[in-house]
Amino acid sequence: MATAYINDQAYTIEKGESILQFLRRHLGGQPVPTLCDAPNLKAYGSCRICSVEVAREKGGAKRTLASCHTPVDAGQYIYTHTKSLRKLRRNIIELVLTDHPLDCLTCEVNGNCELQDVAAETGIRKVRYPAGANHLHYEKDLSHPYLTADLSKCINCYRCLRACDEVQGEMVISVAGRGFDSRIVMGMDQDFLHSNCVSCGACAQACPTSAISDVYESKSIEYTRKTRTVCTYCGVGCNLEVATVNGSIKSIQAPYDAEVNQGHTCLKGRYAFTFYDHPDRLRTPLKRQGDEFVPISWEEAYDLFAERLKKIKAEHGPDAIAGISSSRCTNEENYLMQKFMRAVIGTNNIDGCARVCHSPTALGMQRTFGTGAATNSIEDLQYTDCILLIGANPTEAHPVTGAKIKQQAMKGKTLIVIDPRKTELARYADYHLALRPGTNVAVLNMMMYFIIEEGLVDKTFVKSRTEGYEDFERQIRALDIEALENLSGVPREQVRQAAIAYATAPAAMSFHGLGVTEHFQGTFAVMQIADLAMITGNIGRRGVGVNPLRGQNNVQGAADMGVQPHQGAGYLDVTDPQVRARYEAFYGVQLPSEVGYKIPEMFDAALEGRLKALWIMGEDVVQTDPNSKKVMEALRQMEFVVVQELFMTETAKFADLVLPGASFLEKNGTFTNGERRVQRVQQVLPPLKDAKTDGQIIVDMMNRLGYQQPDYDAADLLEREISQIVPFFRGIRWERLGQNGLQWPVAEDGSDTKILHTEEFKLGKGRLWFANFEETEEIKKHGKDFPFILTTNRNLVHYNCGAMTRRTRNRLLITEDVLYIHPEDAAQYGIAESDWVCLESARGKVDIRAHLSEEVQRGILSTTFHFPEILINEITSDVLDTEAACPEYKVVAVRIRKARRGNGMATEAMASVENRS
Amino acid sequence: MSENQSKLSARRGLDNNLFERIARLAEEQGGTPSREALRSLAEEFLIGEAALYGTATFYDFLKPENRGKEVYVCDGSSCLCAGTQPAVEAALRKHFAEEQIGHMTCLGRCHENAAFQYKGKNYSGMTEEEIHGLFTAEAGEPLTGQYLVESLGPDVLTAADGGPEEWKAALRKALALSPEAWTEEVKHSALRGRGGAGFPIGIKLEACRKAEGLQRYIVCNADEGDPAAFTDRFLLEERPHRVLLGMVLAGYAAGASRGVVYIRGEYPESVLAIEQAVSDLERAGCAGTGILDTDFDFHFKVIKAQGAYICGEETALLASIEGQRPVVRTRPPYPVEQGLFLQPTVVNNVETLANLPYIALEGGAAFRQIGTADSTGTKLLSLDSGFARPGVYEVPMGTALQKVVYELGGGFAGKVKALHIGGPLGGLVPVSKIPELSVDFESFKEQGFLLGHASVLCLPESMPLVKYLEHLFDFTAKESCGKCFPCRLGSVRGRELLQKAQQEDYKIDPDLFEDLLDTLERGSLCALGGGMPLPVRNALAYFEEELRSYFA
Repeated sequence: MATAYINDQAYTIEKGESILQFLRRHLGGQPVPTLCDAPNLKAYGSCRICSVEVAREKGGAKRTLASCHTPVDAGQYIYTHTKSLRKLRRNIIELVLTDHPLDCLTCEVNGNCELQDVAAETGIRKVRYPAGANHLHYEKDLSHPYLTADLSKCINCYRCLRACDEVQGEMVISVAGRGFDSRIVMGMDQDFLHSNCVSCGACAQACPTSAISDVYESKSIEYTRKTRTVCTYCGVGCNLEVATVNGSIKSIQAPYDAEVNQGHTCLKGRYAFTFYDHPDRLRTPLKRQGDEFVPISWEEAYDLFAERLKKIKAEHGPDAIAGISSSRCTNEENYLMQKFMRAVIGTNNIDGCARVCHSPTALGMQRTFGTGAATNSIEDLQYTDCILLIGANPTEAHPVTGAKIKQQAMKGKTLIVIDPRKTELARYADYHLALRPGTNVAVLNMMMYFIIEEGLVDKTFVKSRTEGYEDFERQIRALDIEALENLSGVPREQVRQAAIAYATAPAAMSFHGLGVTEHFQGTFAVMQIADLAMITGNIGRRGVGVNPLRGQNNVQGAADMGVQPHQGAGYLDVTDPQVRARYEAFYGVQLPSEVGYKIPEMFDAALEGRLKALWIMGEDVVQTDPNSKKVMEALRQMEFVVVQELFMTETAKFADLVLPGASFLEKNGTFTNGERRVQRVQQVLPPLKDAKTDGQIIVDMMNRLGYQQPDYDAADLLEREISQIVPFFRGIRWERLGQNGLQWPVAEDGSDTKILHTEEFKLGKGRLWFANFEETEEIKKHGKDFPFILTTNRNLVHYNCGAMTRRTRNRLLITEDVLYIHPEDAAQYGIAESDWVCLESARGKVDIRAHLSEEVQRGILSTTFHFPEILINEITSDVLDTEAACPEYKVVAVRIRKARRGNGMATEAMASVENRS
Repeated sequence: MSENQSKLSARRGLDNNLFERIARLAEEQGGTPSREALRSLAEEFLIGEAALYGTATFYDFLKPENRGKEVYVCDGSSCLCAGTQPAVEAALRKHFAEEQIGHMTCLGRCHENAAFQYKGKNYSGMTEEEIHGLFTAEAGEPLTGQYLVESLGPDVLTAADGGPEEWKAALRKALALSPEAWTEEVKHSALRGRGGAGFPIGIKLEACRKAEGLQRYIVCNADEGDPAAFTDRFLLEERPHRVLLGMVLAGYAAGASRGVVYIRGEYPESVLAIEQAVSDLERAGCAGTGILDTDFDFHFKVIKAQGAYICGEETALLASIEGQRPVVRTRPPYPVEQGLFLQPTVVNNVETLANLPYIALEGGAAFRQIGTADSTGTKLLSLDSGFARPGVYEVPMGTALQKVVYELGGGFAGKVKALHIGGPLGGLVPVSKIPELSVDFESFKEQGFLLGHASVLCLPESMPLVKYLEHLFDFTAKESCGKCFPCRLGSVRGRELLQKAQQEDYKIDPDLFEDLLDTLERGSLCALGGGMPLPVRNALAYFEEELRSYFA
């Protein structure tokens, strides 16, 4: 084995490592001081502090080399702390200190400053240079709600701009000028707020001093008590380190050793945490009295709750009661909620928000592969040759994954984007198939047609791993491509090229989002994505697969735990007597055998008087489910509605009983991210006074209703119940999850699974299904009278109903939902930037301000539903996916006119939208 | 350097070149691109607008301060030593406002000095009348510009160009061999790079050919802006076909079908001459598609640089072509593995490449016959106006420096105390050391100097050394890319120490000064910071007496 010597001791070297990596691997910690080096950045070589002396032979002539970018070589004699090296390092630091304010004692990073540490290590006592030119006069940039800059403290290591480029991929930070006057600039010499900054904070975390920091002073030495947990926002599942002092949260950083996010996260994960103790937090149970809510004790609340459920069950049977669980809650809480409904109430009326987002994914992938979850891992992005992104805008909705895809796309990896909007990633795509919303099935069929036509089918894979191909091929070949081209609006040649690119890539990987699922033909589109992967052999190895970008932090987990009316914990069919027998033995009670209501069916049942009571945990159905008026009416119709929440949401306003739950910061448990990774959520603080963890509330109610369930203890529940009943959780134990979690299925011995379907599918063979394009009812019925198509989506700054993000400084970045409209459409209707537009569908109308943008095509409009002030879901439709009953948020037939209210003003809000778009 | 920027710039490549687009904007918009224009360029190239702003603010001829500049006065070392520039500036001030007058560092008119650039042309204004005449005459007349060109021995580089027949003959000989065999021939010549480091070109060509890549490039580094060096300018303007032919021949060896000539913006006439020569070569079938009816293609791209000395450093030069800030990259990977647009690239200096046609025609063995065992071939030297016979001279490697100075150069025009040989990072050779040196890499190295570009500048008796050293620190401070800490900070602190010692009752702490030189030398990332202590140390060693009063 090849060796090199560190201070005359022999150590083995590894191919391709730098001297610094070699030193760290053997000596651990910080074997030589560094300044420009950072764990998630490439070696840069600017500070020269890491220099070592290298000789070709013992006692030979030594050369001084920067260890961070010099490869280690066999036979090198490396010296790390010779007298002359100490002098060199001290002399470099002395130069740095000639242009650095010497106000350490009052600096926010005092005690936790890399420059200070290195200076101390070099033993520098004084600066011998006479006072000279410097940059101490730079003014602070305090323009941004989160990020701050005090460039007088900048040491020009450029970690910030490298993080902005290499990690986030924004290039918002650069250097102006050269030499001594090189200085960091945001945008084109603007400030943070007015640059295109996406507020991810990677620069602040990267900065070794406080030259770039944040309003939470997250690098303060006082923040030593840190708790590692998992983000509550999207399905990426970033690991976070939450700093607390005296029971209050001070800041959040991203741990570098996190496999999911490697020291990165987005502005929601890093900065949008102050909702947790916002004055609006619900702090006590509330009972409706007429139009008022009055605080009551937990005892009273539980009494009322139990009594009403008992009464309704006695009068109308268990199926008059339903529960909506929460993808924001832990696996353990979701498990308890479905158990409560099934084992305590005796109904399968349990559903969750997956219904309105990825239920078609779960169903479609179960039908084709047998498992409704991502087949591969996000790390496979490194190994794939082609990325197919369908109906997803991850740079806004899954920022860390979005950034990783963008990094690959910028570096030239083939990217195909199927999306009606020119999203950020579509800009970088080799092929952007800008289809008419609602025509995914048409375009995917065209792709498969061309793959078959061009003879690019992986016949070996098809033969050995799938069934149903002959029929499938016959139906595909019979397609009328010209008709599909006209329907989708995507030129066939473009589709053909994209299809060839996908099919000929050695490894092609698809990602999809709600732009696939939230459609009339959502499940069919998912099945076609699976078909596409199967006919090209892109399943079961690294860098391939079908990878839904799951929306909420634990939407994967909620479904895994049985939050769905047809499958119990572990996706087992509740109508199967054998399965039921197993559950019954485990729960010790008799279980219902009928499939329960899906969420939209719950509202229908309520309106028809069949459903009397509904327990909603952490879900704002009024603001986020389609056709809000109908939802509100359904809630009004029911006898008893309980909403368990953090805030008085639009839904909570309809409750008879409101229970104060706890945020992710206040509980233990696990979340499962979009790549099936079960990770530990660790309590940072106890629940706010009088609030309870959602799990404990469920347990209390179980006990009230006579079912013995121990107090909420996630580790215990995981070990004693969940891993015993959910087959793919078999080997999961709290301790085994460690820092980075495990990807299910986890075998008895604790080994986990990065890639599914490597040898065979859950179904045995993969099933190829054909589905033809069918126009949605919405267009068929209303397309004529409502000629525009509105499609709804998300922005980076806010999360879903916004209950949390609107209660943070994020509200200073984007203050309202706006309507994206093509400038030519706007001109035709006399609409100018920021004008109020009246948006009308067959359900109703809302007023919303316009934002002129070429991100949308002519005839297409787009907006978000983060703000209750504009309840956009008042106009969305209740057309559902034919298979999984997921609502079609993505195609709403509307018409527009300039609203009668006053003209818009260019508000700060618009300015910030402008900056971000 | 940013991998993302390299790759995004590569999408548009050389044909829609980002750097040229930025430069064009500056030209169209009064000397610097507007933010709006940069923004739409950023949008087009999918690169962050901040990055383009960073690029634009780096270069002398693109940065916002360049707006409205009409005329540029040379402030290179030779013009400084000749003392011609105060008069030039005074004369120009009669025609231009202060803010219309900018500076350029070294227009390569070191043979006569008094240099300035006006509307893309260089002049030497020897008298006030001459300068006045330029702005009053109907059409401005070029003011002189002639220099001697002579050769002592084989005229590998200075021989008159033989025209298309000679080009074809050279190409035919090389193309008759396999690329491997032709590379062997080059290796056999033992030709070493003339840009300063002396690295054998054959090894680079071979490494490039063997490296993994989709496209290979030959880049001619015609941006070596060493003040007092005008050998490259001579080749670019007077023997441009030889340089380009050298690139074609290098391309054949390396498997490269694209060549970039990156030429200093300070040499506008060089850009024109090279552009003309490219079309000559293409017309003769010696460049372009299907060279001499073979399947070997070689397409040229000529890029005009925008004023940054650091671009003479190869990695900065490559970043520059990509439209990035031209800051020095770490090596490895070397350009032969990941160069322009992260593809295998051979970067060589003008003079090195210009030797290849001779090797093709006469063979590697013949070339090896010239010069010494370790330094083969000839070397061009440029002698500045401090000599009786300034000019460009070609001598076989190993020729006694004495012969160059006193025979070719005709001795000194005035009183000279030292020669600054090899540019600002080259050694300061006291006149007494001249007899001990010969023109080759080894001799200079052994004696503690550097052959470099072999530009020879006379340091007159009248020039205080402390002032000259301040000038050298000032040059480095102005031209430092600002990436590595020692160079960015050390160059300024060195300048300040020397200024303070001249202007105030301040004595420099010798230990501090030694620490500064050591930090620059051992700590700097590239040869700019790393090389500048050499002349300073020479000065301290050979002119201790003159400098003693400034030190404690």
